[in-house]
Amino acid sequence: MLTAILLFAASVLGALALVLLMPRPGRNLRPLGALIGVTALGGAWIGVALGTDLIRQLAEGALGLPSVAFIYYYVFSFIAITAAVRVITHKRPVYSALWFIMVVMSSAGLLLVLSAEFMAFAMVMIYGGAILVTYMFVIMLASQNEPQHEDDIPDYDRVAREPLWASAAGFLLLAVLLSIYYAPNSVQANPDAAMPADTDLIASHLANRALSEETAELASSPSSSPTRLSNAERVGVDLFEEHPLAIELAGIILFVSLIGAVVIAKMHVPNEDAIARGTDTPDERPEGAV
Amino acid sequence: MLDVLQPAGLQLAALSQLALSHFLMTAAILFTLGLVGFVTRKNLIVMFLCTEMMFQGVVITLVAFAMFHNNVTGQTFVIFVLTVAAAEAALALGLVVLMFRRRRTLDANAWAAMQG
Repeated sequence: MLTAILLFAASVLGALALVLLMPRPGRNLRPLGALIGVTALGGAWIGVALGTDLIRQLAEGALGLPSVAFIYYYVFSFIAITAAVRVITHKRPVYSALWFIMVVMSSAGLLLVLSAEFMAFAMVMIYGGAILVTYMFVIMLASQNEPQHEDDIPDYDRVAREPLWASAAGFLLLAVLLSIYYAPNSVQANPDAAMPADTDLIASHLANRALSEETAELASSPSSSPTRLSNAERVGVDLFEEHPLAIELAGIILFVSLIGAVVIAKMHVPNEDAIARGTDTPDERPEGAV
Repeated sequence: MLDVLQPAGLQLAALSQLALSHFLMTAAILFTLGLVGFVTRKNLIVMFLCTEMMFQGVVITLVAFAMFHNNVTGQTFVIFVLTVAAAEAALALGLVVLMFRRRRTLDANAWAAMQG
């Protein structure tokens, strides 16, 4: 009960911090907002650690992941959340995109802590490598001139829209979610969902899996044996054994979006320069013209 | 590194409920921040960045639950989330460039006429 109240208080404080951090005209209350935000997050973590038997589980190693790795949870979470706040509060979109790379990197770190190595590297490659580069290109394409100082930043980047109500609604959702997550025995592990043993998987699906020279080199540490599957192999078996249709559908989605992107990019905008000069307002053009 | 995360002889122990709650908390915070950012910011590019941030929260949730249930279906699903995210980014950014070419601004309010 105490934990629930504390988490609710932390959510309210977090909403307040976010409102103060949002871009706004007038006084700069950033430092105060940052202080309140860090207090809310740290208070929530410390309160949860004291209110539950987290410390006992840490000492006994009963968390399901090594206690050393759990320390990194706090580090990566803190970086991810701070960077996420900067993404939505920074006035310049370029910096928002750069901070978003930080979010991607630290959540990849969280996935590593969860020993989902393949997913962590896929996230870094696809988000950090592909999607963010696209964003940077679009930001460069769609900005007229680099603002030199604060006054050059356009109005729509300098003033947030209804920060108070948006934060209140968002953090109400957060408070509800957290109160459910930290309610005792709210989530039951599904015994039927357990992964089959590696040896069974190798026998049924990977009969030809032989250790090549390099793999043997890598796996020469005493803890790993040829009968233990790596994370990527487990995901691969699950992906191709259980979800073959979904892979095909994913391919169709990518193909359709590829065609769509090409069609959108080739669309002709008439009188683009005239619109820029203001001689031809877009609203006066005939219906259906693109 | 891997040996630290998976000690010898330990066949991927399932995550305890408390550890799961912690990861879900981070994921929920990321999702909420993305949601608030999507509503409050007026810049089209930042709005789409915020949707990607919501995806991040969902991905962490999926992987944490996969570890909690001690299987990899959640991780497999992340691949499809990434697929949708990539498709969305390609289409949305193409549209943003098109809209910028027509109105010469990234302000979402410039398209307020679409509210009907």
